[in-house]
Amino acid sequence: MVKYIQKTLSLLWILSLSIVVLNCGKSDNSSESKKNVRKIKITMIAKSSKNPVFLSAKQGAEQAAKALSKKHSKFDVIIDWKTPPNENENAQVDSIRKAVTEGTDAILISCSDGPILTETINQTVADGIPVMTFDSDLPESKRFAFYGANDMEVGATLMDKIAELIGKKGQIAILGGNQDAPNLQNRVAGVRKTSGNYPDIQIVGEYYHAETTEDAAAKVLQVNAENPQLTGWVMVGGWPFFDDKLMDKIEPGKYQIVVVDALPEQLPYLEKEIIQMCLGQPLFKWGEVSVQQIIDYIAFEKEIEPIKNMQLIQVTTANLGGWARQLRAWGFEGLTKHYLTM
Amino acid sequence: MSTKKAHVTAAADRIPWLEKIAYGLGNTVNNLLGAAIGYMSIVLNVGLGIDPVLIGTLQAIPRFTDSLTDPVMGYLSDNTHSRFGRRRPYIFVGAILVGITFAFMWQLKPGLSQMFYFWYFLVGSIIFYLFYTMFATPYVALGYELTSDYHERTRLMGVQNFMGQFAWISLPWFYAFMENDRLFTDAVQGARVLAILIGIIVIVLGVIPAIFIKERYVAPETEKKEKQSLMKGLSENVSAFFKGLVLTLKRKEFLKLCIGTFFLFNSIQLVGAFSSYITIFYVSGGNTNMGAKYMGLFGTINTLSTLAAIAGVTWISSKIGKRRAFMVATSATLIGSLLKWFCYDPMAPWKVLLPAPFIAIGMGGLFTLMGSMIADVCDLDELETGERREGMFGAIYWWMVKLGLSLAFALSGFLLKWTGYNVVFGGAQSAETFMKMRLVDVIVPSSACIIAILAVYRYKLTEAKSLEIREQLDLRHASLNEGITTN
Repeated sequence: MVKYIQKTLSLLWILSLSIVVLNCGKSDNSSESKKNVRKIKITMIAKSSKNPVFLSAKQGAEQAAKALSKKHSKFDVIIDWKTPPNENENAQVDSIRKAVTEGTDAILISCSDGPILTETINQTVADGIPVMTFDSDLPESKRFAFYGANDMEVGATLMDKIAELIGKKGQIAILGGNQDAPNLQNRVAGVRKTSGNYPDIQIVGEYYHAETTEDAAAKVLQVNAENPQLTGWVMVGGWPFFDDKLMDKIEPGKYQIVVVDALPEQLPYLEKEIIQMCLGQPLFKWGEVSVQQIIDYIAFEKEIEPIKNMQLIQVTTANLGGWARQLRAWGFEGLTKHYLTM
Repeated sequence: MSTKKAHVTAAADRIPWLEKIAYGLGNTVNNLLGAAIGYMSIVLNVGLGIDPVLIGTLQAIPRFTDSLTDPVMGYLSDNTHSRFGRRRPYIFVGAILVGITFAFMWQLKPGLSQMFYFWYFLVGSIIFYLFYTMFATPYVALGYELTSDYHERTRLMGVQNFMGQFAWISLPWFYAFMENDRLFTDAVQGARVLAILIGIIVIVLGVIPAIFIKERYVAPETEKKEKQSLMKGLSENVSAFFKGLVLTLKRKEFLKLCIGTFFLFNSIQLVGAFSSYITIFYVSGGNTNMGAKYMGLFGTINTLSTLAAIAGVTWISSKIGKRRAFMVATSATLIGSLLKWFCYDPMAPWKVLLPAPFIAIGMGGLFTLMGSMIADVCDLDELETGERREGMFGAIYWWMVKLGLSLAFALSGFLLKWTGYNVVFGGAQSAETFMKMRLVDVIVPSSACIIAILAVYRYKLTEAKSLEIREQLDLRHASLNEGITTN
């Protein structure tokens, strides 16, 4: 009886081993597998390759491409970076045309606004190349999806936060950046709409300027001087704090300031409590999430939500260290040990 | 008279190496089953889209029924009289049935209703756990009675624990296998094939202890009962079951071992999630790739160290005794847990690897020494009650481990919430949240190590005492056999 069972067991062992060996043979047939790999090229066109914000997005896209290629052996995802050095609608149009000529499977773009870009996107889609937008959308175009912040909600969050900081009463100013930028307009509109919930808060004005650190800082100092009763600032972009020029020009705590973006240059202002809260954008995710969505759309033919909102993160002195480490993980350089070990 | 004689294991008490390996293969199966069902459950959500709440219910209900059947199976096995023994028939049949059930319960196809999946998997899981208990409880008990030698028991448990680790080593490959898009269209199909392969492995390896191991303990003829009416027999058995349960729970030395295991094992499990979160979000700043790399390296070092620790602890135990060996091994885990405080350094992420070997020593020693020590308790129990109840002791011990594990997972979620962790923030959690996470990660296992050491410090079954008990039992068995022969 025992001998019989032993024989049966031996046969089962051989059967199991055969299954394992056969499976190994199947997966190790590398020359066969390489032939079947589908290359998917995603052309990424951000607004400006000099802006570190977009370099972080690029890193997110590349990491997602690498992870997806590793996970799905049937295709190899490549990121084709065609971002112009400076923000320019025509340069973006050229990048799209070049990508189409060279051959691409999808385009991921953060749009500088304008009718020519809309037309070019529509033509590209008509040619059979899907387009997705991130950060800055062109909703009237035929792009299949957008990933980025909901600017109205961003404005609302800024307003709620400043109201909380100034005890729901006082005078505030809005720093608006480029008056023609639709995303900034929406943020300002969000601030305005939500301010209706706070009758004791007076908005002294919306202040626009060229999007350079110098112009933004000058505008802030000018408004401060003209409004001695001012208690707070809502800034829909972080421009005045992209260098250290305002470090000794604004007394910490004199104004309550809430700002969109939390880049490394802004961290000393947060630490010194010149800024009370930054609304940080997970910039890395612009690339990471968008590439995942494009692959779902073109490789797996999944249905994609036309608009996917990115959740922003409130950065204060409480999570300054965590945010600094997060920025480093997203590819930002030059963060000091002081912040990284907080 | 204080001169201590070096203990030499009698030839009759030695378990041949092949038999030790045969027994160890059973533990590979035992661990594989426990680990696979939990690990593969990801397919229920990711592949079949079952609501996580329903999955939670799917995992909780069968574990509840399992907790009820464990002691019953222990009692049944302890009181079985068959020509194949009181453990081997259950191990043999249990391994086959659990292997088949496991393979069948994952044969799910996409496109059916959520409630269909729920009921199919629920019924399948309940049956699976029933057969799992049928295999595991007698298997564990068999190990306690394979030898009556104090040190040989530890060596056997060392081999068993060592071989059990292979199940954990194979675990990370499961997901890669199921997700392999060259072999399968999706993870659900991958799970179906993987379940069949696991089922075959379970059957092939699981029956080996039943076939190749000879049961040492044979119930004296006086223990065999005469035939009686079904109702009377049932009532007597129920009464004897509860009596046995109470007796087991009253056994102080056993409870000390349970306390030691409960705190040491479950505290490490409880903070497992915390260590991952801290490594990914604090040390790696939310870089999941980097965090995963360090977690993987930590796991590899931990596994290799556990294998080395099992061998080391088995050897040390033969020199300084089981109680002291346990305290030494647990002290190493205590050092490793405290070391974590200094090794979570965002400027030098590699430091997270340093505590791994220290933590592994205690964990490697735990189930090696505990199995051996419970066998010693079974001797003491027999001396005082006249019965051998390895099944009941093993079942209650593992029931306690499983209960603790469920509590640990529940408490882990609660503690994570208490730290203020918010998934949306990724690496940008507040300094307070990170501080609380690190405190939990260090204080919980460190305190648990101290409690475990204190509990086992009071354990009285030293080597000398155990040998004394063995001598008395041997005398008793000899006189019983003599009496039977005379009659």
